[in-house]
Amino acid sequence: MKPAAAVNLHRPSPPGRAQSAAGANVAVARRTLTRSAVPWLFGAAALLLWEAVVRGADVPAYLLPAPSSIVAAMDSRLLVHLAATFSEALCGFALASTAAFAGALLFVRSRTLEQGLFPVAIALKTTPLVAIAPLLVLWLGTGWSSKIMAAALICFFPVLVNSVKGLKAADSEHFELFQSLHATRAQEFRKLRLPYCLPYLFAALKISSSLAVVGAIVGEFVGATQGLGYLIMVSSSHLETDVLFSAIFASAVSGIVLFQLIAWCERRVVFWQRQDTE
Amino acid sequence: MSAVASFAPRGAAPMPTPPVPTQAVPMPTVPTQAVPMPPVPAQAVPMPTVPMPPVPAHAVPMPHATTPAADSLRVRDAGIRFGELTVFEHLDFAVGEGEFVSLLGPSGCGKSTLLKAMAGLAPLSSGAIDVCSGRPGERRMALVFQKPLLLPWRTLLENVLLPAEIGLGGNAVGAADRARARRLIELVRLGGFADAYPHQLSGGMQQRAALARALMSDAEILLMDEPFGALDELTRTTLNEELLQIWRSSATRLKTVVMVTHSIAEAVALSDRVLVFSSRPARIIDTVSIAPEQPRQPDDPEVARIIKRLRASIRAVL
Repeated sequence: MKPAAAVNLHRPSPPGRAQSAAGANVAVARRTLTRSAVPWLFGAAALLLWEAVVRGADVPAYLLPAPSSIVAAMDSRLLVHLAATFSEALCGFALASTAAFAGALLFVRSRTLEQGLFPVAIALKTTPLVAIAPLLVLWLGTGWSSKIMAAALICFFPVLVNSVKGLKAADSEHFELFQSLHATRAQEFRKLRLPYCLPYLFAALKISSSLAVVGAIVGEFVGATQGLGYLIMVSSSHLETDVLFSAIFASAVSGIVLFQLIAWCERRVVFWQRQDTE
Repeated sequence: MSAVASFAPRGAAPMPTPPVPTQAVPMPTVPTQAVPMPPVPAQAVPMPTVPMPPVPAHAVPMPHATTPAADSLRVRDAGIRFGELTVFEHLDFAVGEGEFVSLLGPSGCGKSTLLKAMAGLAPLSSGAIDVCSGRPGERRMALVFQKPLLLPWRTLLENVLLPAEIGLGGNAVGAADRARARRLIELVRLGGFADAYPHQLSGGMQQRAALARALMSDAEILLMDEPFGALDELTRTTLNEELLQIWRSSATRLKTVVMVTHSIAEAVALSDRVLVFSSRPARIIDTVSIAPEQPRQPDDPEVARIIKRLRASIRAVL
């Protein structure tokens, strides 16, 4: 949606239709509401169908529990595990994003550094996290630090690549403009490179926010005493499928929450991009 | 009292009043000497060679001269080569103070590179470009690019304020700068849009904003690289007329304009003088002074003759 100001600038309402503007706003609001209601309705319908099929066909609970029994399995134990995984993912995400952005700043500063270290970053990226996770547990123990590292490893690369790209994203003519104004390097960075980088940075943060949860869970698979990954391992070996499902839902929810958190920040920080693309 | 200082290895030669015959004037290698300047700028005027060094402390005061017109920019035996590729070489011409000069030529011939060299954005391989306008410590030249290059996260007012902000270093812009930016926004007829964001403005409005931003530098020389090339014909004509009005008005300190263009019509409508460039390596193959008063009608016999001549020159190099 463009803001109302933009609409007014481009298309001043013809005389006589001025009062219909309020009506149009209501219509727009209604359309937005309908659009956001549609996925919820479809989701609810799917759950109802699931419940009906499981009850009607008498599917064994260890294969596919009904949604109602999954909800019943969601207790305070799940919340504790969810909190553990979520905080591990969040810490790893924050750590990786900060380090990756700092790395990007160095890469943009020095081409030699970029040429030397970029292959290392790619090698790190292409090595599956599942393969590295046991090593992390070996080094850092079964506590939270190995999970944070696992989450950080998986988050690092997208943020690095996109930040490097974003810091170079401004037009070469933009740099010439700043040069012609005798801008210092610091001014060029603050007023040109950094703002141009932000859309790229947030695109990467959105990707890695959901990856962070995956990283933490993979870390927990290898060796942990709590967290959703631990819960998934334990409940699956005990055939507590309803608990397993509740853990799966909880991991999906934590990924979504983290993603939406970043998207919310993005809308506030990179406001111009939103208006450009929509 | 005006003065000239040259940073070129060789001294600046006194130039006759423009228009200057193209390439015909060999530049004698004499030590720096007085160059006739009008009595307009009251202070010492440095004349750095591109790339521009910081404002020199040793601007040499020169005796006052009474010749009516002086040079704003002087291109002396300038050349740019990228390895094997010669973009241009042995270019010699001057742009007089208060003059509107168009650089016309086929695309890719190096006009834009020449303009960038004038702005100090492209280093010369040989020769020198002297900038004679402006006062010490001030920006002498402002640039308008083909693209508006507005920063999308800034409002129109904030975009126009950019040169002031950069000039101030870390300090916040003052009320005086804001007021001047608003006046310039009025001047380019964008009054009422000061708080709009670039994506809310049309292409023509964005280019007007870019012009206002350039004027914010308060430079005496405006360098324009196909400023209206990306606009439709109607918008272009309107903006041409407005540019002329701004150039003539006393609202800014703008005196001299150098514009790169592909359009014969635009060059004829605006310029005092048109330099026609050949394709690469660029040479000046024709210099046409345009006498008739603006607005110039295409059916004016003199204007028609000039357009015909420019067409013939351009065709000869294509």
